[in-house]
Amino acid sequence: MPIFDQGYQHWSGELSGHAWRWLAISRQGVRVGLKNRFLRLLLFVAWVPALALVLMLCAWGLLERGSAMVSGFTRLIALMQPSLVMDPKYYRADIWRLSYGYFLQIELWVSMILVLLAGPSLISQDLRFNALPLYFSRPLRRIDYFLGKLGVIVAFLAMVVILPAIVAYIFGLLFSLDITILRDTFGILLASIGYGVIIALSAGLLILALSTLSRNSRYVALLWIGLWFVGSIVGHALQAVDSQDRRQAYYNKITVTRPMGRDDASLSNAERQRQRREWHRAIQRANDEYRVAELEFSKNDWRPLVSYSANLSRLGQQLLHTNQTWAKLAAMQPDPASRDRILALYMGPQFPWYWSAGVLVGLFGLSACILNFSVKSLDKLK
Amino acid sequence: MHSELLSEVAGQAEVTPAIVAFHDVSKWYGNVIGLNKLTIRIPAGVTGLLGPNGAGKSTLLQLATGQLYPSQGSVQVLGQPIWNNPSLNRSIGLCPEQDAFYEWMSGFDFVMTCARLSGMSKRAARDAAGRTIESVGMSRHKDRAIRGYSKGMRQRTKMAQALVHDPEVLFLDEPMTGTDPVARRDLMDIIQRLGGEGKSVIVSSHVLHEVQSLTPNIILLNHGRLLAEGQVRQIRDLIDKHPHHIVLISDGARKLAARLVSWPDVEGVRVLPDDRGLMVETRVPDAFYSRLPELSLEDGTAIREVYSDDDNLEAVFKYLVNKSA
Amino acid sequence: MLFELEGVTKTYGAVTALDDLSLSVAPGAIGLLGPNGSGKTTMIRTLLGLIQIDAGSGNVLGMDIRRRQLDVRRAVGFAPEDECLFPRMEGIEFVAYAGELVGMRTKDAMQRSHEVLDYVGLGEVRYRKVETYSTGMKQRLKLASAIVHDPDLLILDEPTNGMDPAGREEILQLSRDLAHNKGMSLLFSSHLLPDVEAVCDTIVVLGGGKLLAQGDIQQLKELHNRFFEVRVKADAELFAQRLSALGCSTEIREDIILVQLPEGRTPQMLWQVAADHRQQIRHLRPQRGTLEEVFLKAVERT
Repeated sequence: MPIFDQGYQHWSGELSGHAWRWLAISRQGVRVGLKNRFLRLLLFVAWVPALALVLMLCAWGLLERGSAMVSGFTRLIALMQPSLVMDPKYYRADIWRLSYGYFLQIELWVSMILVLLAGPSLISQDLRFNALPLYFSRPLRRIDYFLGKLGVIVAFLAMVVILPAIVAYIFGLLFSLDITILRDTFGILLASIGYGVIIALSAGLLILALSTLSRNSRYVALLWIGLWFVGSIVGHALQAVDSQDRRQAYYNKITVTRPMGRDDASLSNAERQRQRREWHRAIQRANDEYRVAELEFSKNDWRPLVSYSANLSRLGQQLLHTNQTWAKLAAMQPDPASRDRILALYMGPQFPWYWSAGVLVGLFGLSACILNFSVKSLDKLK
Repeated sequence: MHSELLSEVAGQAEVTPAIVAFHDVSKWYGNVIGLNKLTIRIPAGVTGLLGPNGAGKSTLLQLATGQLYPSQGSVQVLGQPIWNNPSLNRSIGLCPEQDAFYEWMSGFDFVMTCARLSGMSKRAARDAAGRTIESVGMSRHKDRAIRGYSKGMRQRTKMAQALVHDPEVLFLDEPMTGTDPVARRDLMDIIQRLGGEGKSVIVSSHVLHEVQSLTPNIILLNHGRLLAEGQVRQIRDLIDKHPHHIVLISDGARKLAARLVSWPDVEGVRVLPDDRGLMVETRVPDAFYSRLPELSLEDGTAIREVYSDDDNLEAVFKYLVNKSA
Repeated sequence: MLFELEGVTKTYGAVTALDDLSLSVAPGAIGLLGPNGSGKTTMIRTLLGLIQIDAGSGNVLGMDIRRRQLDVRRAVGFAPEDECLFPRMEGIEFVAYAGELVGMRTKDAMQRSHEVLDYVGLGEVRYRKVETYSTGMKQRLKLASAIVHDPDLLILDEPTNGMDPAGREEILQLSRDLAHNKGMSLLFSSHLLPDVEAVCDTIVVLGGGKLLAQGDIQQLKELHNRFFEVRVKADAELFAQRLSALGCSTEIREDIILVQLPEGRTPQMLWQVAADHRQQIRHLRPQRGTLEEVFLKAVERT
């Protein structure tokens, strides 16, 4: 027949099973998210710390093999801590652990911003444009819808946390050319991936729940900023206020005299400079001692729990055992002053990790409740 | 073509006194034109205001109720300019398209508040509100909060609020959207009754068959300009480009066709499916109809039904709007 | 059978939306009518398997509405009443996404999406963002996304709400074409009776959660055998008087004369009177009830 019917054609293709429905929603969400150029920029920027991690691991791998390419790096390490250079393989796990620890700390921040960019509009736009009847009049359950939306956040966070972690691991492996690395460091990789998953699920469900609270995604973004920043600031403020007195006690113990003003003619220039240096050293010492004492105190300090990101990083530290690593490094120091220095600068908070876990689980449950309540299926009287 | 239409029909409109008068009214919003040199005189009775989306219907209503000031020209209602004229506003009722209720109030409270806002005393307002709510059929639900009203109930309440102060002129913007046929019938009866009482009711609507059953008088706008005004049939007669389509149902359809083709004013004859009748095209319907009775009485050409296929508002709308578009 | 409901009851607190509703509908173009609060929306949701009914059973296209709700929704297309959109998409993405949500593969959904957009007349604007569409276009888009997976039953809820005459015409034409020419069953829920008449062959009238009337439209509209509507050019009163003198009973309603012919007479009698007195008959049709009358009568019975 030369002329073909241009009207409606029937279609008899296959419809896929129910289980993959959420994937269509996730795909669409990721596509829409990628249209935001700030998000694309952030995804790009997020690989800079990954690059730094790769460089560090590769450098260490080369150092282990005694390669001449990193001789400058080797000398630097030797200067700071000779025992590391003498037996690099023994300390390999620790170095990897700390490198990953820093990397994940930075990527935690990046994740928070990523969630801010990609998260708020996930459900609030659907509410604003009334897309829910279109979703639920199709063979789709609420759980598929939620999983699909969650999948968007998980996808983005995986790109920023999990994927770089794996890629860096592979590179580090390649540059070390030593299969025993796997035995030493595989746990770190698993811990990083696990941490990534925890961040993704926790932050993902939380932002989804917040996203159902308003039709305007800007308000949701504000809520997220509030949760993150305000929580963090309040946590720090509480801690600072609480520890003020204790810090003062350490300052009071300083015996060195405080240098007078410049117009004290009784001392020579050199004398005055020496006095000043001694004073600064005393201050620093007092600070370090105070901080180390605080570490003991912080075992029971609930105040950091107020900050959402602090909870997440506490779990991260626990998974990677970074605190133990720093303690080990500190123990290698010859004198108490430098030991305290390291502890004061690098040790994380000491409160039990299961407190943080509890807070996160609680938030998870709260988010699930909010989701259940805000997004009802169409079984209601209009 | 348009000016011919206007002058022909305008001659007839002068006869009845105008309640709403627009004189050379233009209104634009920045660069966007709302109305373009509109001159119209709307008499008492029910008038339909029609036009595609963006034709200027809402602008016309807003200008006529004093919500907007024309960029050019003057708008008068009941002989006085409507802009900034609160006392005149008491004689006008508006039933807007959007819902703008105080959702927490009950229907009765809302209508009574509107009555009081137009200057009635408390007792008069209460009586009037009760009466009007009764007339729109909302007595059963009048004490419930508006929040719980269905769309049909809201429309009825809006109508009540427009009627409560017994206005002389009533502007209704899509008064029957979302209402079920029962409510529709009630509201249409109210509108026709008001038209019969000598008030001027202007109904703006997209639902052509409803406007058709309310009134033969229409105003048709397109792109902010007046396209046609007057009675539907008269306008139809003036549309030259489309010959009238007249349907004849007869058992002797083909014999009838043979006879009709010999008439000079018949331009085309089409046989309907199954030979059940004919569709005749003619530009001179008067001459055609005058010859029909004899034709029907002739042998074998009895006409069982005769009606015009396009002598209705839908056809007129389609012909006029598509032509100018 | 297209769908069947047996003793279905659904209450929301104090309100009974469906009251022991039993109904059996054959495939075709069916109009769903009923006053506000009659349970139409609830019935549609029951058919789609979106709500849990308190009592009763039913099946749609042979599938149990209690057990195979997801399967039902794969074979049914639904265009809801209110404005609804998937945000931030082009038209073509919108319809493809709608298809993917039913389970179509991505490639199938995309191909089908183009086809369907051509059919509903949105071919020119398919690459534009859906937020920029006019009301008429959005309604057609909704229709397109409801038929992308080629359902056996299409449910349209108030599809011509708030549309201008041109838009209404398009939707009605598409609905008619799908229902009559393309073998898709159609459930058309609307308050605008002429729209229902233009598209559907049978109607179902609900009221108070119960079935009030059901049947073929032409059969429900009573044909009054000897009653005719007549419109003459001028002097209707005079014409009516002349008819009365010959034994007809007449009633004048606005510009139409309702004539009841005496026993055994045909409309030729009217032509005779017109010829004798040089009158023009411009409208002559057997009087038929309107769908509005059918509806109001069904509702008033309760």
